[in-house]
Amino acid sequence: MKKMLTLAIPKGKLGEEALSLLKRAGLPWEGVATEDRQLIFTFPREGFTYLICRPVDVPTYVEHGAADLGIAGKDVLAEARADVFELLDLGFGFCRMVVAVPRQRWEEARGKVENLLVAGLRVATKYPRVAAEFFHRQGKPVEIIKLYGNIELAPQAGLADVIVDIVSTGRTLKENNLVEVVSIFSSTARLIANRVSYRMAYNLLEPVIEALKKAAEERRDDLVARS
Amino acid sequence: MEYRAKLIIPEGVRDLLPEEARAFRKIERRIMDFFVKWGYEEVITPTFEFLETFQQGALRDQESLYKFIDRRGKILALRPEMTTPIARLVATSLRNRPLPLRLCYSARVFRYELPQKGRWQEFQQLGVELLGDGGKAADVEVLALAIEVLLLAGVRDFRLGLGQVAVTKGVLAALELPEEGVEEIKGALLTKNLVKLNSLIEHYGLKGQKRKQLEALATLRGKKEVLAWAREGGLPEGAASALARLEEVWRELVACGLGNWVFFDLGILRDFDYYTGIVFEGYAEGLGAPLCGGGRYDGLLERFGYPLPAVGFALGLERLLMVLGERGEERKGFLVAGPSFPEISARAREVRASGVPAVLFLGEDRALAEEQARKRGLSLLWVE
Repeated sequence: MKKMLTLAIPKGKLGEEALSLLKRAGLPWEGVATEDRQLIFTFPREGFTYLICRPVDVPTYVEHGAADLGIAGKDVLAEARADVFELLDLGFGFCRMVVAVPRQRWEEARGKVENLLVAGLRVATKYPRVAAEFFHRQGKPVEIIKLYGNIELAPQAGLADVIVDIVSTGRTLKENNLVEVVSIFSSTARLIANRVSYRMAYNLLEPVIEALKKAAEERRDDLVARS
Repeated sequence: MEYRAKLIIPEGVRDLLPEEARAFRKIERRIMDFFVKWGYEEVITPTFEFLETFQQGALRDQESLYKFIDRRGKILALRPEMTTPIARLVATSLRNRPLPLRLCYSARVFRYELPQKGRWQEFQQLGVELLGDGGKAADVEVLALAIEVLLLAGVRDFRLGLGQVAVTKGVLAALELPEEGVEEIKGALLTKNLVKLNSLIEHYGLKGQKRKQLEALATLRGKKEVLAWAREGGLPEGAASALARLEEVWRELVACGLGNWVFFDLGILRDFDYYTGIVFEGYAEGLGAPLCGGGRYDGLLERFGYPLPAVGFALGLERLLMVLGERGEERKGFLVAGPSFPEISARAREVRASGVPAVLFLGEDRALAEEQARKRGLSLLWVE
């Protein structure tokens, strides 16, 4: 029997873009859906298995070797700090990890970050480790409040003073009267590998990594050509 | 509902039931016997020591240590690995022994991990240290022993990935970058973050040979490719001689008939600051983390005031058992029963003397004894 290669793909929008990259790279994709009840798709002839995971779970599947490769946003990787190899920047799923505050608070700080980032702030976020590390580097002890979604609600409801979250267009922030004040890092989707698979099954992985690399470059060139 | 802490155990530790304990001890004994046959003598060190001792070795990372404070206010830690305690032991109590020293161990080690990581916080490491020989033959011996131990244990599909940290050190030293830049590049190489490595290469404007060498370090693997790279020339001197050494070690392994178990991967760096020469990791099919690992650490003993080259490796027993999927073999032996306790006790002693387990039946009912023997997989020995 042919040895199967397992790839963990995130559900949702990032997963859709991941699928179109697989297609471009000439990997099997037909019938695969990231918003379906079916969570495992196998292509015995081509030797591929796809696992559809929650985006935050992709690094875990790869770290433990349940998947050989995975596609995950840098935001998720930075938070998970999983022991995985980060092989490629796939170029899609662009967003930024930012600190944002209610407009009024920003005005009170007279538009100066140093006035705003003071010790004792209450910070709401889905990314507690990223947030803690950022404020730690600033030398500001803060209180981190872990939430699971709709972070922009927290300052309005008086739960937090500032938020740390990802933004892509910034529309959500604007609609909730929040201002981005610091960009911590920018994020795109990455190809990650299990550290043992990368070494033991390298011959199997290598053509897939190369195909995805080429497809990501083509995609980038297409976007440049169109703009 | 009442939280019944008294009935549960913390995350990352576990109990071994009789069958599991049997499998565990059986493989442990086989491996330790094998080490002893190779001339490695077992040492036992304390479960906890002063924090400062562990800070000299690998895993200096405070976050992975279980620390506590004794009544005098000294900071103690549970051992996270065995190489550092052994280095301390050799530098203090074994200084007058003839070299090279061959030592082995089987010990519980402890590492603090976030519970959600799903990793053991307490596990068994078996390993060897070969101290006082800096030559390539010592490298070959330890590698050969690692391969033979995995074969002995019955791991079918495994490979040892062989790297050489001195190659990476040589290339990094020749970059002529500020310390901060070297640290960043080292970090990217260590975590195999190729995306970050590329952006650092851009950021520091590394071009030509420097760029090519860094990229090669991160991705180069396979014997032919690595050796061809070495012959291309242009490598900093330290890196070139380190590669030559790696090739010599490999040739010796091939000559010993062990070449098929080994592949080259310069990306294997393990604990980079601690190792000084060859490093290796053992991988088994179906296991998401290395099964064993080790390398040469010529700088550690000097930190304890006894400069001595050394090489060794350790193997994770829980991971090995996971790969083998092994349960203990069936329990065999006799249930010795009868109306007179002195009689059965004497008979049981004879059975045990012949090397077979003998369990005493505490009662006089033969039917009950038969039933118990059947349930426990023992043969009944009825003594009138």
